[in-house]
Amino acid sequence: MRPVFSVFLLGAAAVALSGGAAASTDAGISFEYHRYEELRKALVSVWLQCPTITRIYTIGESFEGRELLVLEMSDNPGTHEPGEPEFKYIANMHGNEAVGRELLIYLAQYLCNQYQQGNETIIDLIQNTRIHLMPSMNPDGFEKAASQPGEIKDWFVGRSNAQGVDLNRNFPDLDRIIYINEREGGANNHLLQNMKKAVDENTKLAPETKAVIHWIMDIPFVLSANLHGGDVVANYPYDETRSGSTHEYSASPDDNMFKSLAKAYSMYNPVMSDPHRPPCRKNDDDSSFKDGITNGGAWYSVPGGMQDFNYLSSNCFEITLELSCDKFPDEDTLKTYWEQNRNSLISYIEQVHRGVKGFVRDLQGNPISNATISVEGIEHDITTAKDGDYWRLLAPGNYKVAASAPGYLTVIKKVAVPYSPATRVDFELESLMERKEEEREELMDWWKMMSETLNF
Amino acid sequence: MASKSAGLFVLLLQLFVLIVEQQIAALPTPAASMDDKSVYNRQLTEERPLQEQIAEADSVKAAVQPAESQQPSKDAGESEPASDDFTMLKALADGQKPAQTREVPVKKEDQFVPDESDSTKSRRLADDYDSTKNRMDYGKYQDDPESFRQVDGTPLTAEDIVQKIANKIYEEDDRGVFDRIVSKLLKLGLITENQAETLEYEVAEALQDLITKNAKNNEIEDVDQNQDTEGEQDNQSPDTDTWGPPRRRYNENEEDEDEDEDEVEDEVDRDTEDDAADNTWDKDTDGGNEVSPGDGLQDLQYFPNFYRLLRNLDSDQDVQERETLITIMKTLIDFVKMMVKYGTITPEEGVSYLENLDAMIAMQTKNKLGKSLGLPEVSGAEGKMVDEDDNTKSETAKMQKEYENLRDSTKEEQPSSESNQPGKSETYLEAIRKNIEWLKKHNKDEGKDDYDLSKLKDFMDQQVDSYIQKGIIAKDEGDTIKRIYGSL
Repeated sequence: MRPVFSVFLLGAAAVALSGGAAASTDAGISFEYHRYEELRKALVSVWLQCPTITRIYTIGESFEGRELLVLEMSDNPGTHEPGEPEFKYIANMHGNEAVGRELLIYLAQYLCNQYQQGNETIIDLIQNTRIHLMPSMNPDGFEKAASQPGEIKDWFVGRSNAQGVDLNRNFPDLDRIIYINEREGGANNHLLQNMKKAVDENTKLAPETKAVIHWIMDIPFVLSANLHGGDVVANYPYDETRSGSTHEYSASPDDNMFKSLAKAYSMYNPVMSDPHRPPCRKNDDDSSFKDGITNGGAWYSVPGGMQDFNYLSSNCFEITLELSCDKFPDEDTLKTYWEQNRNSLISYIEQVHRGVKGFVRDLQGNPISNATISVEGIEHDITTAKDGDYWRLLAPGNYKVAASAPGYLTVIKKVAVPYSPATRVDFELESLMERKEEEREELMDWWKMMSETLNF
Repeated sequence: MASKSAGLFVLLLQLFVLIVEQQIAALPTPAASMDDKSVYNRQLTEERPLQEQIAEADSVKAAVQPAESQQPSKDAGESEPASDDFTMLKALADGQKPAQTREVPVKKEDQFVPDESDSTKSRRLADDYDSTKNRMDYGKYQDDPESFRQVDGTPLTAEDIVQKIANKIYEEDDRGVFDRIVSKLLKLGLITENQAETLEYEVAEALQDLITKNAKNNEIEDVDQNQDTEGEQDNQSPDTDTWGPPRRRYNENEEDEDEDEDEVEDEVDRDTEDDAADNTWDKDTDGGNEVSPGDGLQDLQYFPNFYRLLRNLDSDQDVQERETLITIMKTLIDFVKMMVKYGTITPEEGVSYLENLDAMIAMQTKNKLGKSLGLPEVSGAEGKMVDEDDNTKSETAKMQKEYENLRDSTKEEQPSSESNQPGKSETYLEAIRKNIEWLKKHNKDEGKDDYDLSKLKDFMDQQVDSYIQKGIIAKDEGDTIKRIYGSL
């Protein structure tokens, strides 16, 4: 951004004097804001530098026709390897919350650099995970926010998409449904039935929202985070309160796991995990924040958010990361934000390798897709993907995990789950037909025996 | 056998023996069966304690065992159909009174299957687990009104029962078998008319399959059989009358329905017609009394290629083949009708399936018989159709490309205003350079030969094109990248 060039110089000098140590790992990253074109170029550059482990794709267009770009990083970009978990980061769904957007660009550059420099942790991560980075879900909003004259950006301009829709209130409200099901009985997962139809015919959904929903349906994401600004905390489900009040702790069935996930991010961010950090604004109520994490409903109720939608419509666990008190801070602070968040961002991706994972197959070895994996004591089931593979995030403990599918006999296994890595548990299910066959043969044998005995 | 105080087991035993009309001496006469019926019904209306039933069964077993039959040779052949009927009866009994008879057969199973590794136990587990999930699609395994399958799993061999009956009918060439079984069952009140109807359909289906299968397997040989069968059908017109609407048959106990000497398929036709389940086929189902080319081929007129094929087989030596083909085709048509009736496929799918079939026939005859169907238009028409399809496809592709180009061009205006060319290519150049450096180093470390630059170039070119198409890279950027790779 040219107007701030001089400021940048000064800022850069200041940072160079103060910071310094992390400079070597961050070589090759320029810490500046990227408008749409620059964002695109930056992603293309990463791809050009690391073409064997990256791929750029788009999940659709924004209202004004900008591509919703995703950079995928994996040792086999473009394919889902059976058993390899899928992870995503989405930022800038509020166009004026700019830090997350930049962080994801820097993260892409960082992962590519580190991979080539032989960083084993990163190499391991990229080989065993399929990482999807979407720096901006609302490029139109960002342009509006970034185009504002002057240094101080308005709190609201550019937040919503070009149609004026707040994307984080635009998702189908499945919390309502799950709360009803909790009381009256009903499904505890995949609540949006006939998704494609419901989504395509829903006129209230913004194109950005629709694109993300399709994305969630197409790829079996396991873990995700969506990046925001305006505060500093890691927020986890449920976002919408059960009673409808404005503040109420609303635990999900996986409350323990979510707390663990949120902490896995916050603990590496010195600002987020600082117990003595003053609230961003004098009158802010951050009473619900503990160790840098908060339950969504306890902080304030958010209906129609993307985080809960992930959990209730798919297998994906998502948390919301608020990364900066200032939604659109000065460019010269970006490097600091990167340094504060780099380790957290990596650590959170690693969380996808926890709990139990494996395959569900039939007795002939064929994968059973859409089988249900349920854990005793946790009222939230997940399903297997097309190759019969599943990943069930669990906090450490002893569990009974059951695999079931229509037409098959359920199998239950006991598992002791450590903190990490994920425990491999495969299931072989016998089909009802096979069991019927067995019994039919038994019956025939019995009949034969009887008839021989009685001679008829 | 002690009939009066016989347990359930013995009663059923007597019943199926009756029905199958085997030559086993020392078995009860039809008169005794009436008594058995009342006793049997008593069993059904009140649940008898399990222990009592077991005790009775044991006593019966003890009584029966010493009285060994002197006809071991017959047993082999009899036990098969005997078991069919027995299990079929069991199944039908289950179907009729789900609440009560389900108890009874289950208990019977307990009596005779000593080990308690019952399927119902583990099945319940799956049900329990899934009772809260009303989202899971268990449709196939619950409430299938058309089949004998029950949720509790007792009539395990329903399809096999049907299959066995069909087999028996086919082997004996006697449909009276079925009628006799079913009429007895109805008289005894073990099945309702609806179930008799359903059973009839199922057996008819299975029978059709059998006929088709055998016809296909041994075309020449079976022609004689088929003809004989058809001949027999003619002779057994009073029996084939029973294949008319079951309602009327079983109420009035005698029938003078329209003569239908055709195969089973046309009977089903009429039923289909009666039910009016499928309007598109209504006009096909009139007539077809005899397997004469004129009437029988009314169905087939909608299959121009098949029709032509038949006409090509007009010579004498082809008559048998012709007959076989007609049979096969009719069977297929009726099978499709049945599937539509049952809702397995939609009418549109059925029609398209048969249309495809017709096209396939044309192709296959051309390939196999080495001659076309006598009308060059056929292949010409098909070829034209194929071409049309291709044309429309390529048209669409063309349009899409144009649209893409348009879209891309509008986009390009935006970027070019904002960016500067040299800056862009610098960044890209830098990135590509890093990649090449890394590749060199990586290959050196791993002891591989120098990386294949041309392969990489090709791969990148391909990717760049794909990205341009998707709007991720602008055209000029893509050219820049390609240029850079070209200059390496």
